[in-house]
Amino acid sequence: MQVSNPKSSKLLLIGELLYIFLAVLSLYLLAASRTAAAHTVWQALHPAFIPTLFVATSLLLTILFTCEKTTHKLILIIAYSILIHSLFFMIFPAGDSSGQQMVLGRTRLVFDNTVLHGLSGWPTASVQVFIVEAFKGTNLQAALTTIFARMLCIDIFYVHLFFIPILWGVFIPIATFLTTKTISGNESTAILASLLVAAFPYTVYFGAISVPNSLGFIFFFYSVYFMLKHLSGSDSKTGYLMVVFSLFSFLSHYLTGIMSFSILLLTVTLKTYGSEKRSSSTDARILLTISFLLSASLLPLSFIYLKYFSTSTNPVFTLDKLYELPLQEIIGQFLIGDLTYSFDFKTVLLNIIGSFIALLWMTCLLVRLKRDPDAKSRTQILFLFVAFLIIVIDYGITKVFMEGLPLNVERLWVLRDFTAVPFVALAVCAVVSSLQAFLKAEPPKTIYVAGLKALPKRNFLWILTLILTVNIAIPALVAGWTTLSLTAAYPQLAPLQTTSYELEAAKYIEANTHEKYVVIGNIWTIYAGEVIVGINNPRAYYFGEYNKTGYDLFINMIQNPSPQWMLQAMNYTNTRVAYFIITEPRLGTEEFNSTVSKASQNDLPVYATFGNGKLYIFCYEK
Amino acid sequence: MVNELKSSRLDAAEKSVAQNKKLIFTIISYLAILAIFVNLNNIKSPLVGLIASAFFFVINAIFLGHAFLENEILFFRFTFGVLLLVMLLGFVGWLIMIIYNLDIIEFTLVLVITTTLSSLLNRRMKHKSASQ
Repeated sequence: MQVSNPKSSKLLLIGELLYIFLAVLSLYLLAASRTAAAHTVWQALHPAFIPTLFVATSLLLTILFTCEKTTHKLILIIAYSILIHSLFFMIFPAGDSSGQQMVLGRTRLVFDNTVLHGLSGWPTASVQVFIVEAFKGTNLQAALTTIFARMLCIDIFYVHLFFIPILWGVFIPIATFLTTKTISGNESTAILASLLVAAFPYTVYFGAISVPNSLGFIFFFYSVYFMLKHLSGSDSKTGYLMVVFSLFSFLSHYLTGIMSFSILLLTVTLKTYGSEKRSSSTDARILLTISFLLSASLLPLSFIYLKYFSTSTNPVFTLDKLYELPLQEIIGQFLIGDLTYSFDFKTVLLNIIGSFIALLWMTCLLVRLKRDPDAKSRTQILFLFVAFLIIVIDYGITKVFMEGLPLNVERLWVLRDFTAVPFVALAVCAVVSSLQAFLKAEPPKTIYVAGLKALPKRNFLWILTLILTVNIAIPALVAGWTTLSLTAAYPQLAPLQTTSYELEAAKYIEANTHEKYVVIGNIWTIYAGEVIVGINNPRAYYFGEYNKTGYDLFINMIQNPSPQWMLQAMNYTNTRVAYFIITEPRLGTEEFNSTVSKASQNDLPVYATFGNGKLYIFCYEK
Repeated sequence: MVNELKSSRLDAAEKSVAQNKKLIFTIISYLAILAIFVNLNNIKSPLVGLIASAFFFVINAIFLGHAFLENEILFFRFTFGVLLLVMLLGFVGWLIMIIYNLDIIEFTLVLVITTTLSSLLNRRMKHKSASQ
């Protein structure tokens, strides 16, 4: 649909240019917020960023309600999506600590050709172990980021940090658009959905960190889209694609893969149900029920079988929580997990409001569609509703009835949000349509504000109210919701992230040591070191994050910083130089000063200092 | 009007890449791989890498987008082609990494295999839809 009125077209162009300006300004404010040391993004974020983002989101929403081309709207949403997922890598020197830095520590080994045959290496305990290790998501992500880093001829550090935010920013809004369009058949609703996906805090968080699970979420969402397409048509390509995306989802991360296969099973059954219900309705219903139960039990059961492949975890079913916790806490755990113990009402609300609206709207639609069994998108809506239920049930089972899980199952909320977002958009659009019907006015087109003078006087007040509601109140409300969700998406409390001087120290050691070396440090030193040289690199050795020997050596060095422990570390790692790193903000001033003075008493020379004396490196050579 | 003209030109350009007459775009893609390889070994410039990668990505994404989503509009066909290309690169890269490793030679091999597969898939689907 094209804008026919040249005046409106000019207004639209001005609006788009203003939005682009605000988006660029937001990006500049993010770049200006970059800091050497911070705990959370909120400590360093420029105070003008959130107001600018709010205005940009409101303007974007207004543009979405115009007759601009769908592809142009999607490009504007993609720019927005990349922006809101960039906070970690734009503000912190090495992105968010822990998960993504651990993945980078392993990926660097592939990039620097330090390991052969994937991250597990060869030989392993057995061929089965090698196969299981090869299918771990870190391998796929390591291969992808290494390929991109080599293609662009830049260091893997930058490619890794940008990888998921860019991929997520581009492909998730498109997946949301396509999914919503398949069930609603309406492009305006689909466009709104592709923006509203940013209103779900967990989804925003996982789009901002480069971990294999995030990659799995992207493939999961596309598998859901092709499942919906498969349900509505008979094209064999969509059938292949839904299987391919499910397989890639599994290759990226077993959690998303197993959920994808659960829902794939449901798709196949629903397709069969559709064709068999007329001939044998009871059989078809029994098949559907069995499939639902099997799909819902696939994830909890797979966790149990996980212990046969990985010795580090031991998930079990348990009734302990049922006996120990009061009823309201059990219900709270089942529905909102650890948020039960959160005293921040705003965070709880932002995490559940979207799914709650979606559940209400799904139920409403299904009740309406019951009266019309031949409605076009009935099966697709039913499919998404059942998928949503399976995810919620799986979350509840794993949260309340299981223990010893290898991950926090709140990650399932991202999958829940993916199935919920089309219905939130449908609900918002229904509210707008109801307003239109109530006020008996023209469709909401912001650009028609200019034509208000031409309206008959008796309708003036009604139309003005409509314009204010649709063009100001609703965009402001939705923009406020989306912007506010960022406060719940990015943590408000966190340990000190990897600082720039920790990175500088790791780079300095790497650049100035020509022999094999080992570094003794705490977990934060390891995070900084592994993003520069990788983890357990035999040439530049940083102990694993949870390595007991490395931890014991560090504690011994803090208590008695002497060459004895450094020699022990060198013998253990077959290296010729050992470094010991301590940082004042991590240790505390008193312990830091005490360690420095003990080291000088033991004749341990200071190799270098960084961050205006906040970080000391001690060195000892064989 | 201007937008429509631009869009139809883009459509035509994309169609000519997808038709790949005399395998000209497959050859351009191989040349882009050669440029990436030379850049990695000698020039070491991110700008050269970016330009060569852009050629590689555009050509192969169009091939894959056309092979699987011929009936979608250009924007979705292309973005979907990019996603499929990322997946294909990831899969071939993963496989070669597991078999041996991903140094510069093996990485170049990944690009060559990916281009060949994209080109073959594009031709196969074209023949399939022509026969239907």
